[in-house]
Amino acid sequence: MIYIDKYAYISKLSGEDPALKFLFSSTTLGVCLWADSIPISLFIVACMAWASVRKGGLPFRFYCKLMLIPMSFLIMGVLTIAVQVSARPEEFLLSYRLLGITVGATGIGLQTAAGLFFKALGAVSCLYFLSLTTPMIEMLSVLRKLKVPRLMVELMGLVYRFIFLLMDMADGMYTAQASRLGYTTLSASYRSLAGIASSLFIRAYKRTQDLYAALESRGYDGEIHVLERRHDVSPWKYAVVIAWVCALITAAMVLDHSMGGAR
Amino acid sequence: MSENIILETRDLHYTYPDGTHALKGINMAIRKGRKIAVLGSNGSGKSTLFLTFNGILKPQKGGLLFKGSPVRYNRAGLSELRKRIGIVFQDPDAQLFSASVHQEVSFGAMNLKLPEDVVRRRVDDALRSTGIPHLKSKATHFLSYGEKKRVCIADILVMEPEVIMFDEPTSCLDAQHTLQIMDVFNRLHKGGTTLIMSTHDVEVAWNWADEVFIMKEGVVAGAGSPHEVFSDEKLLQDTCLEKPLVMKVIEQLKACGIIHTPGPPRTEKEFFEIMQSLRPNKKAGAF
Repeated sequence: MIYIDKYAYISKLSGEDPALKFLFSSTTLGVCLWADSIPISLFIVACMAWASVRKGGLPFRFYCKLMLIPMSFLIMGVLTIAVQVSARPEEFLLSYRLLGITVGATGIGLQTAAGLFFKALGAVSCLYFLSLTTPMIEMLSVLRKLKVPRLMVELMGLVYRFIFLLMDMADGMYTAQASRLGYTTLSASYRSLAGIASSLFIRAYKRTQDLYAALESRGYDGEIHVLERRHDVSPWKYAVVIAWVCALITAAMVLDHSMGGAR
Repeated sequence: MSENIILETRDLHYTYPDGTHALKGINMAIRKGRKIAVLGSNGSGKSTLFLTFNGILKPQKGGLLFKGSPVRYNRAGLSELRKRIGIVFQDPDAQLFSASVHQEVSFGAMNLKLPEDVVRRRVDDALRSTGIPHLKSKATHFLSYGEKKRVCIADILVMEPEVIMFDEPTSCLDAQHTLQIMDVFNRLHKGGTTLIMSTHDVEVAWNWADEVFIMKEGVVAGAGSPHEVFSDEKLLQDTCLEKPLVMKVIEQLKACGIIHTPGPPRTEKEFFEIMQSLRPNKKAGAF
């Protein structure tokens, strides 16, 4: 997760208009879910990978590793759809008899599973594109523009900032404990971990009080007002994104029609 | 003289909710445009005093006067006070709330309800005068300690206050970063800002301050020019403070009859000038 954050800042696309990137990834995501077609999903995965790696300057190996993360969830989820139990073994393409029950996969089941697998992968690649090219702060400014309640956006911003603070603290405490043999045995590890958890909680509480004092001293009045970064809004780029989405929708419809005709 | 006093406390008492009596009757007058060091060991009440100066803590007894009029502890009074008195906290991580340097620095100026283009200009100015314009689009969690410290100073500069308090600004900083920060302070001083620094480093107080307040266990144990304060042997003994090294050396040289300058040198440069004048070929002149 921390690496995603780092790459978002150093991405070549991080300076681009965040609203544009948000529009691009969210509409593509929408089309991916709506089209429900394996070729379209695959095309979207390829395009998003190209945009993140070639346009964003992300190392390809890192991108592959990231794509492997949802894989285990996906495979588990998809298996439950592909593998069915039935009393009529003749429907199965592949089957196995176990204690008088037939377990196997049907053609339609496999097709649904494959469709779902690639649809989910396409959706993940859209979200990856957004999170790998857009720093959290920029995302928050998009949310603010979309009229998400201020309180929620402010909280998200503070939570984001505090993740790093607490992680640093936890890291420091872990090192200090490890250097005093806090993790040599299993029971010692549990004890040390409990120590970290409780003192992190107390320190986080103390931090909020300090932060509140610091905010107050700078005239905090219950709402966090900050300057938004200015971005060059290019109508031309918006037009390209809209054209891309329209093209995707058309392609999906044509594909659907031709396949329907074939059937 | 008295209209020159920008900030004043009269018999200021503050007790924390847990019963710690942190300030026990502070009487202090801060004059405009001065460089003030509040010197004291850990737990002597320096940070608490700063929080009361800013209206974050409300004294239970005694009063705080800003430009001669008592501070009102209502919303308008406090925001007026905080507009003019800024405080740079000791721990940068306790002060930085935003993940973006640019947004972090803009916060104070936005709270002054200034027009956006003024805020933008002030943010750029503040980043420039702290020497960190290149950090503008960085994330705060990727910064080094020294960089964070300077962002904290820019945080306050953007509000353009008349008084800036720095809580232990040079603690945990290496020599180079300390020099850079002292450079920022000197420029602020030239611009007419009143600076108050808390420190436990006698050398910093000696080099930098126009006026030194020594705090001990919640009271002001001594006040005056650095020379006055550090010549007071009894005061130093009572407050467990060391005499600055330069002063010790000069006193020894004087005691041995080697030099006869009237006051000890304040800076390294002045000290070296005195040493230069002792060179053998100038000996006849020196004695």
